[in-house]
Amino acid sequence: MISAYHIRKTYTSGATEVLKDISLDIADGEYVVILGASGSGKSTLLSVLSGLERPDSGEILYDGTDISKMTDKGLTAFRREKVGFVFQQYYLLSHLSVENNVKLGANLAGNKNFRDIVDAVGLGDKLKSKPSELSGGEQQRVCIARALAKSPRVLFLDEPTGALDEATGRNVLDYLIKLKRERGFTMIAVTHNKNIADTADKVIEMNSGKIVGISLNSQPKNAYDIGW
Amino acid sequence: MMIGLKDGVKLVGISLVSACAVFVCTFFINFYIDVRGIEYAVTDELRALYDAQLATARLVCAIAGGFIGVIVAVMLVFYIKLYVDGNAKKIGILKAMGYSDGEIALRFWVFGLSVLIGCALGSAAGYAVMPTVYREMAIDGLPQAEIAFHASVLLSLTLAPAAVFTAFACGYAYFCVKRPITDLLRGITATTEVKNVDSGKDRSFALELCLKTLKSKKATVFFVAFSCFCFSAMVQMGFSMRDLDSAVMGAIILGIGLLLAAVSMLMAMAALVNANKKNVSVMKAFGYSLKECALYIFGGYMPFALLGFGIGTGYQYGLLKLMTELVFNDVGQMPNYVFDVGIFFATLAAFVLSYALVMLFYTRRMNKISVKEIMSET
Repeated sequence: MISAYHIRKTYTSGATEVLKDISLDIADGEYVVILGASGSGKSTLLSVLSGLERPDSGEILYDGTDISKMTDKGLTAFRREKVGFVFQQYYLLSHLSVENNVKLGANLAGNKNFRDIVDAVGLGDKLKSKPSELSGGEQQRVCIARALAKSPRVLFLDEPTGALDEATGRNVLDYLIKLKRERGFTMIAVTHNKNIADTADKVIEMNSGKIVGISLNSQPKNAYDIGW
Repeated sequence: MMIGLKDGVKLVGISLVSACAVFVCTFFINFYIDVRGIEYAVTDELRALYDAQLATARLVCAIAGGFIGVIVAVMLVFYIKLYVDGNAKKIGILKAMGYSDGEIALRFWVFGLSVLIGCALGSAAGYAVMPTVYREMAIDGLPQAEIAFHASVLLSLTLAPAAVFTAFACGYAYFCVKRPITDLLRGITATTEVKNVDSGKDRSFALELCLKTLKSKKATVFFVAFSCFCFSAMVQMGFSMRDLDSAVMGAIILGIGLLLAAVSMLMAMAALVNANKKNVSVMKAFGYSLKECALYIFGGYMPFALLGFGIGTGYQYGLLKLMTELVFNDVGQMPNYVFDVGIFFATLAAFVLSYALVMLFYTRRMNKISVKEIMSET
């Protein structure tokens, strides 16, 4: 269970408050989409929820443990053990093969069976390829495999389909939803694409640093049934 | 246009290295010319020492001019590569707009400016120390050579190298920008293009990252080894020269050695940290500690640093042995040179300490890389 209470965050020496008194709960195994336009504070919320940075005030509890008061060392250990990331621009290590990029995550968890995950994202035959030899969709799937190879409890996704065309985006989203269902991790994605929200269990809408609505999807759609 | 004057001026490393070469060449070439003016007074018994001094001037100029000249060329290649890699998209846009490879390459003339600035500074410093050097090199029993200004020396050590290196910079830039526009727009350059050679070995991620970082950054390997070479060779040589009764030359060698070592090490490390910003961000986001990031990225350089130090030790021993046993062989009062174990261990200790401090400094710099840098809204 992840609970955030009264989170506030300000940038540029107090001039802009990007998160204004945010409180939310996310259950284990839930798939949550944080929806908002550019500048709404959704990526900052993802950063503080995942322990990439601390809020100025408020609490973020993972099963009762407050990560907002942790030291840098504590946050590093937290990220190492609990979370995985998928980034919009992939950020694969360009000079390493697919296999070694996935090992970046797998080694942290001592996961020797990381090839299963590479197979699961459909890239079993591309283990020795370099990122530059892959399409955008394939690179994003390597990014997903890298994140899942460390067996995270929570997978954070920052605009996971933002750099992909429609067909590839649907394909990647479909992989993510299937893998989430199979492995049971919590999935939190930020996006500006309202259609993607239809695939989630819960949708948190943000505007100007505030939560303006939380809704539940009783029957989430699959990636091929939504608009784009 | 994208390359401004400040891009050329900020290449301080190239300026400092050029300055070192021109500094040494200025006073030695000037001395070489001026000392011939007193050749009429050289007696048979002073002939050996007089000839040895001329030989020293020739040898030092050849080493300083040739060797450091090559280093300046390598530095230019390094900076131009970095510049083109960092601005591939902009260059691609210019080419798409209709600029030719030649027109873009010609803009790299500003990189030659750093050489001109360095040469001018080196010349000025060379003229400043000339009276001291002339006094130091004066031979008992001979009149001291008079310092004369030689315009040809000034021109050949400032304008000529600047012109040569400017042409070299433009030529190399032409080679770098001569890529398909689509590659440049996608950020692919000759250096970023990765050849897919699979080692076939099942190595750990840490070892693989270490090895691939070295392989993809060969220039930084060279500069780290060169820095340690300079530190080892010139610090040991500088102190050994004191024992050989040449304190001023010893101090000059020591100063140049430390400057070259610092410039090349800082340049290599800064480039390494910059090139790995995103990688470090991703690793930190995934939960790798700062210590692990630093170890995987800097760790592979240690053997090359030690190799540089070892070669530097052998080089300074060989050079001083050559000077004392061949060049100054017939000079009676020249003390015999033996390898100084004490100086070696003191230099090694200073080297280990300095290397550790540099690594610590850049690990701290790495700590400043924000993990938020890779998020979409930043």
